[in-house]
Order: sequence, then C-alpha cells, then structure tokens
Amino acid sequence: MSTETAPPSTVRVDARDKVTGTLRYGTDRVPPGMLHAALAVATVAKGRLVHLDTEAAAALPGVHLVLTHADADELTSGGFLLGGGYGFQSFQPLTGDRIAYRGQPIALVVADTLHVATEAAALVRAEYESEPGAFTLDAPGAEALVQSEAIPLPMFADVVAGDADGVLAEAATRPGAVVIDAVYDHPAQHQNPMELIGTVAEWRSAGDGGADILTVHEGTQNAGAVQHGVATQLGIDADRVEVISPSVGGGFGQKNSLQPQTALVAIAARRVGRPVKLVVPRTQVFHDSSFRPATRQHIRLAADGTGRMLAAVHEVDQQTSRHDLFPGTHTEITSRLYGIPNYRGLQRLVRTDVQTPGYMRAPYEHSAAFAFESAVDELAVALGQDPVELRLANDTDTDPVSGEPFSSRHLAECLRRGAERFGWARRTPEPGSMRADDGSRVGWGVAVGCYPGMAAPTAARVCAEPSGAVRVEVGAHEMGQGLRTAMVRTVAADLGIPAGDVTPAVGDTRALPHHLTAGSWGTAGALPAIALALAELRTALKVPEQGPVDVAAAVAATGRDSVEVEAVYTAPGQPPQVLDRLRAGLPAPGGPEHPGFVTFSWVAHFVEVRIEPTIHRIRVPRVVSVADCGRVASPTTAGSQLRGGVVWGISAALRESSEVDPRFGGFLNASLEEYPIAVNADIGEIDVDFIDTPDPMLNSLGVKGLGEVSMVGVAGAVANAVHHATGRRFRRLPIHLEDVL
Amino acid sequence: MATPVRTDETARTTAPSPPFSTTVHVGFRVNDEDVELDLDPRESLLDVLRERLELTGTKKGCDHGHCGACTVHVDGRRVVSCLTPAVQAQGTAVTTIEGVAGPGGELHPVQQAFVDHDALQCGYCTPGQVMSGIACIDEGHAGDDAQAREYLSGNLCRCGAYPGIVAAVRAVADRSEG
Ligand code: FES
Ligand code: FES
Repeated sequence: MSTETAPPSTVRVDARDKVTGTLRYGTDRVPPGMLHAALAVATVAKGRLVHLDTEAAAALPGVHLVLTHADADELTSGGFLLGGGYGFQSFQPLTGDRIAYRGQPIALVVADTLHVATEAAALVRAEYESEPGAFTLDAPGAEALVQSEAIPLPMFADVVAGDADGVLAEAATRPGAVVIDAVYDHPAQHQNPMELIGTVAEWRSAGDGGADILTVHEGTQNAGAVQHGVATQLGIDADRVEVISPSVGGGFGQKNSLQPQTALVAIAARRVGRPVKLVVPRTQVFHDSSFRPATRQHIRLAADGTGRMLAAVHEVDQQTSRHDLFPGTHTEITSRLYGIPNYRGLQRLVRTDVQTPGYMRAPYEHSAAFAFESAVDELAVALGQDPVELRLANDTDTDPVSGEPFSSRHLAECLRRGAERFGWARRTPEPGSMRADDGSRVGWGVAVGCYPGMAAPTAARVCAEPSGAVRVEVGAHEMGQGLRTAMVRTVAADLGIPAGDVTPAVGDTRALPHHLTAGSWGTAGALPAIALALAELRTALKVPEQGPVDVAAAVAATGRDSVEVEAVYTAPGQPPQVLDRLRAGLPAPGGPEHPGFVTFSWVAHFVEVRIEPTIHRIRVPRVVSVADCGRVASPTTAGSQLRGGVVWGISAALRESSEVDPRFGGFLNASLEEYPIAVNADIGEIDVDFIDTPDPMLNSLGVKGLGEVSMVGVAGAVANAVHHATGRRFRRLPIHLEDVL
Repeated sequence: MATPVRTDETARTTAPSPPFSTTVHVGFRVNDEDVELDLDPRESLLDVLRERLELTGTKKGCDHGHCGACTVHVDGRRVVSCLTPAVQAQGTAVTTIEGVAGPGGELHPVQQAFVDHDALQCGYCTPGQVMSGIACIDEGHAGDDAQAREYLSGNLCRCGAYPGIVAAVRAVADRSEG
C-alpha cells in the first residue's frame, strides 16, 4: 500500500485555460502569411482516376496551388501503424490513380482564404473508371480471412483454453445445463472528437546550411508518429520535423496515428513557400480518418444448472479495408471476464472497400462486452438467477487463459458496491414488472467490463529551478484525460511542494521522444516515468529518497542554475529494444500479460432505462458505475473520465451508427446532424465510485488505465435494462425507439 | 473482372463561376473593441474571429450549426457564429469567450463554476458551453436540471462532461435567483 500523502483533490490544472479559451489547440495557430487549404475528394468508392481537370480551380483568383499528384520522390506512404509504419492506413492519397474508397482526397487546393480554397476544390473535375465494391460484411466480394493465418503474430493469435467445443457439445445434451447461442451485430461508428482533424505546416530555414525545418501544429495522440511518419513520407531526417500538439480536442483513437493530410499540407506549404492550414471539414472526416469497424459476434456459452460457466466460444467477424488488415482482439477480454475453464476465440477479418478502420475508444472491448454481457444476461434469465449473483459466482483470481494470477482484480467488489449504491435489491426480476408513476416501463440492467492493463515506454524530464519551481515534461499527450493534472499531483505529492509550483508540459517532440498515447496507458506510463525522474532528481539534489524537499535550497546548494534530469520508463519485463521503437515513433506497449502476472482494469455498470409510455423514447435517467483502475491518480479528472465513458456507452447503445450505402459505398450520415451523439438532454444522473486500491505489480504508483474501461460494458447494461423493461432482447446496436414500440 | 463503368463526375458547375472580387466593408464591436474589416461576404463570423482577429478561443467543430462549439453572443444573444455571416455583425456588439472574464482576469461566475464542477475534459467544446451557459441563465432557461439540459443540448460535448456542465450552470442560476 502506498503511504505517501497526496494533496487534496485539486482542480484540473488546465481548467482555467480551458474556460477562458486561452488554451491553444493545433489549428488555432495563425502564423503570418498563412494560406488556407481545402480538399477535393473522390465521388466513387472504387476504381481509377482517369482524368482530373483543375483548370477552373486554378483560374480562380486567390488560388495559389492545386496539388493533384505528388511524385514518388516527393511523397511516399507513411506505412500502416500495425504494419511497422505510422499511418492509420498504408494507402496514401495523391500518389497514384487508384481510388480505394469514397471520399478519398484527389486534390488539395491552397488559396488566400478558406472560402476561395473551398470554392476552388468544388471546381476540380474528375473522371473515373468505376468498379463495383463490397461495403458490408455480407456483400459479395467481401473477403473473409482468418486473422491468425493472415497475421501470424503471437499477439493476434486466437485465444484458446481447454476444450470449449467438446464441453459445449456435451452440455447441449446434459439435463439441467443451459447453452446460450446468439449472434450480436455492431455497426461501424466514428469517433468524432469535437476538434476536427487538421494541420498547420510551416517551413523555416535551420540556419545551419542543412535542410529546412518543418513544424507541424496538429492535434494528435501520437506526435512521434507524425514526426517520423512525415519525415519518412517526405524523405527528410526526423530531426528536421517538429510536431507541436500540447492540447488535443479529443482523440478517442482517431488521432492515434499519421493522417493522410499532414504530408500533403507540408508539401503544399513547401511549394508555395508560406505556412498552410487545412482543417478537414466534418463531412470529410468521416472518410479521411479511421472509424470503429462493423462487427458480427457469435457467442456460445454453456453453464451447469447451478450457474457455473463451463465453456464459451466467441467468434468475431470484423471489417477491414482492402489495403490493410486491421486486427481485432475482442476475445482478449471475453476470455477473462469470468473463470471459464474452456474457451475458444476466433477472429476473422473481412476486407471491404473503405478507408482502413481503426481504434475508437475501447475499440474491441466495447462491442465484445456488449455481445458477451448480453449473452450472460440471457444465461441469467434462462437459469432464473439474479444477474449480479451469477456474475459473482463466476469470479476468478486467476487468469483462465494463461493460468497466471491477475495482479489485481476487484471486480466482485465493483459489483457489490455498485449493487448497493444502485439499490439493486429492489429490482423485481420479471421483465416488464417495473413501472414508473408516469407509466414508463422501467428496466434495470447490469454488465461488467475489463480492459487490458498495458504500459508503454515513456520519457520524462524534471527540472528544478532556483525559485523552487519544478517543470515536468513527458513524451505523452493531453487529450482531456487529465494527464497534466495527474503529472502535477504526482510531482507535488512526491516533493511535498504546492501544486502551483509545478508546471507540466506535454505534446512537443522538440522536448522528448513521444510515444502514442492510447489504450489507457498514457497516465499509467507517464506517472511511473515521472517517479523514476523524481528519484533521479533527489539523487542530483542530494536529498533523501523520501520526504518533503526544499527545492529552492536544494538547487542553491548544488551551485547550479537549475537541476534537470531525465528518465525513461518501460513496462514490466520489456526488452531495451522498445526504447529504439520509442525513439523511432513506433508503438511499443507491453501487456496485459506481464512476466508472472496479468493485468486488467475492471468495471461494473448498473443502468436504469425508462421507456416512455406514449412515444416509447428510451431514456437513461441514472447509471451507477464502479471501477477498479488501481490507485486513483487524480480523483477529480478520474471521476469525469468515468462519467465520460458512461456517456459514450449510452451514446453507442442508443444513438450511434455510421450508415453505409451498400450500393455505392461511403458513409451516408457524414455530419453531426445525421450521426447523432448523446446530447446533454440524453444524459441523466451518473454516480461513479472507485475501488482505489493500488495494483501491487504493474508499476510503483499502483495505477492502471481508466479511459477505456470506463466505457466497456455500458452498452451491454443498457441492452440488458431494455430487456428487463420490455422482455425483448436486442442483439443489434443501436437500439432505437421504433424497436421497442 | 468488373466491367469498368465510365462515370463523369462533374462538379456543380461546368463553367467557372465569375471571380469573386467583391468585398464588403464591415464594422462592429468585439469584446468592447471596434473592428473594421473588408470581407468576402461569404465569410462566417466564426472564420473572421478565428482567422482574421486571431480570437481562437471560439472553436469550429462542424461549421454547420450542429455542435455549438462556435457559440458567441451577438448583442447579448447566443448564436452559432459558423452560421452567422460576418457581414451580418455590422453594427452589433459581439462577445466571445475572450471577453467574458473581468478586467482583472477574474473569471465570470459561469467560468468559475465550470472549473469548480470539472465541467470539461479536453476543453474543446468548453468556450461554446460557457457562452451558452451564460445565455441560458440570462434567458431564464436554467430553472431546473431538466430545463437546463434541454436548453444546453445545442452544445455537444464528445468527452461527455454533461453532468458537470449542468451542475455548473445550475449552481450559478440558483445563486443569481437567490
Ligand atoms: S462550428 Fe458552429 S455549430 Fe459547430
Ligand atoms: S470537453 Fe471535450 S468535447 Fe467537451
């Protein structure tokens, strides 16, 4: 148990800058002489570009450049993030005549103003040879591959334990045993952070006679990949590229890699000799970046008559693109939610004609938990058991897949505490048995979730000033999860100094190498890195290993102007080569299987739905969520993050679906009007709580990830609550009011 | 083998539109300062604020009136500045997020309440939420939680900070009533 005293729950350290609008995001940059860019995009989904007429666009007064094609010596692919490269996909627009997906950029126009650039982009005329494509999982021409064969890497192998098929077959004939066999569909969804994708690119002379320096201002979760990726694409040294991204206006996985527009804007800026800004319009974002791929998940789950789970098979078909294999790891969590001794997972990938899908908050875990936790609810109903009791009875301390212990698992406590806070004991089990005073049908549902406990190599620097102030830098990104706040709290608590004396800095490749911040490992990597740096700092300051430090006096005693130290943290058991990957801007997370233990974050969600009597609108007046994310590094921001995850789950369960045109491809509802996300009026009371017990093994601070697990299971709890209210089971998201009429 | 279909995908017009050389002279006040500009009449108030006046606190989340990130006050009323042609601001007084704190930098009560209730995460929607929150209270639309939620629903928050936003706005509304 950690014994140090943290400062009281402080406010978010950048809250003031956020409420005053002074915090700067990537495209807030307005350098002198800047020009504006706009994209022209493909209006067919597959085929070949046979002619591009840019005459009218180029003739428009105010247009400086119409970029339609970059030669190979000017622009190459930045590679695919999951294939040794940097991009969300390997396919780079404007390098050839192939059209791989609707909405693919075919030209970039640069003009004096945004309006001229936009008008000119609309004047770009293209002719295509169009080919039929496959756009859905079932379309003719959609090619299904077994992932473990297509990507023969251990991390993407199928999860297998015991003999699931044998036990399932036996259970089907055993009296008293119950087998659930169901298919769950999840649509494609788009991350839609409020900040649009965009780039401001500026070149300047290095003054050293060498190549010019490119500065990229861009909201990204992966400044290292943007730096090294753009350098690769343009054929320049990575130390000639600076990426500045101190604040990201929401990432949610969309901004976790190199986007296709960044190099295009950089080339345009170089050609016109002036800074260029491109903000990708919302409608184009639906095709110009990744998305959560559509999945179909087949679950078979067997239990004996007492409710002991005996075996499960989880088979997943996940959409990918023609040009990349975006792997799925849905079964990583469904094999761990319970102590099921016999388990078999199968991941298949289905090639369709889209941009490459990618990560979106809880990228696999959200849909996997929706499917599996719906099946568990079906099992509870079939057994006539209480869904909380059934889950508690199948708890485990040991990872059923590896046989190793979980470093910490307080899921049962999450369930018990959540049930207590929610008032679960007052639930009457019969579906449709609860009514509100206004006649609304009331349903109470529960579901659990987990998320792999990963950690990534992270660089940190701490600098102590003679004034007593301390500056702390980390090679990670702040996208609202509260990283800066957790950094400040960690330094202040360790040194026993006021939080106001600590200045945090993130998102700047000029300072430190930056690792991708995703998978909830941002804080779980940054804080241990800071802890290591603080230990170094204490050595350099010649102060004891623990206890409060008079920083000003200690710096003065060294006789130096300031004392600066650096440290790099790696996940448990990671080989030193991961540092090379960190320095090359490549992802190198470790986990959830660490040497001798397995780490997951855990959560339980309790949801009340009310289905209004006249128009059958599905409302969610209250949710109780209890999470085990190890020690809570920053209570204020952690609470907000958990509530935000719940909002995401409600939104995914009841609102969000990226509609695909099965004939012509592309996403039809490509705007925030037609792609509804939860609004304020959709959200009721969200009561959150934390176990707040440090994980004893993952890192010295005892912190595990929170951002993703917070969403996992919410959609299942909503669907289970809808079943409780109506007696009807919905195995496809989102659930709409017309479903419950 | 797929049969190639020859498609002619033509933009809206076949002939280039006449060059847009017309600019319009516009004068208005922004955060108590006079501003005079020659504008392309197509320019939105949002783009003028961000790109010409470098008041980048006001955000663009959609450019189509769907998200509220660009909310500012024009003569005290909240508007989405992306759907407000800048020429329409002629003669008006515009207030942006940069203009709501006091002269000494003391936060507006709604700003302070957002800090106190942690009504934000990434902060990108926050300027628009604050501007909407102030107006919502002035309009008398923050009388109870349900009403506040309804009247703040034009401002999307993808981080899901809604519970904090409602709590912040309601706290100020209650205080200003009492
Ligand atoms: S930018 Fe104006 S409403 Fe979204
Ligand atoms: S705080 Fe991130 S969108 Fe609202």
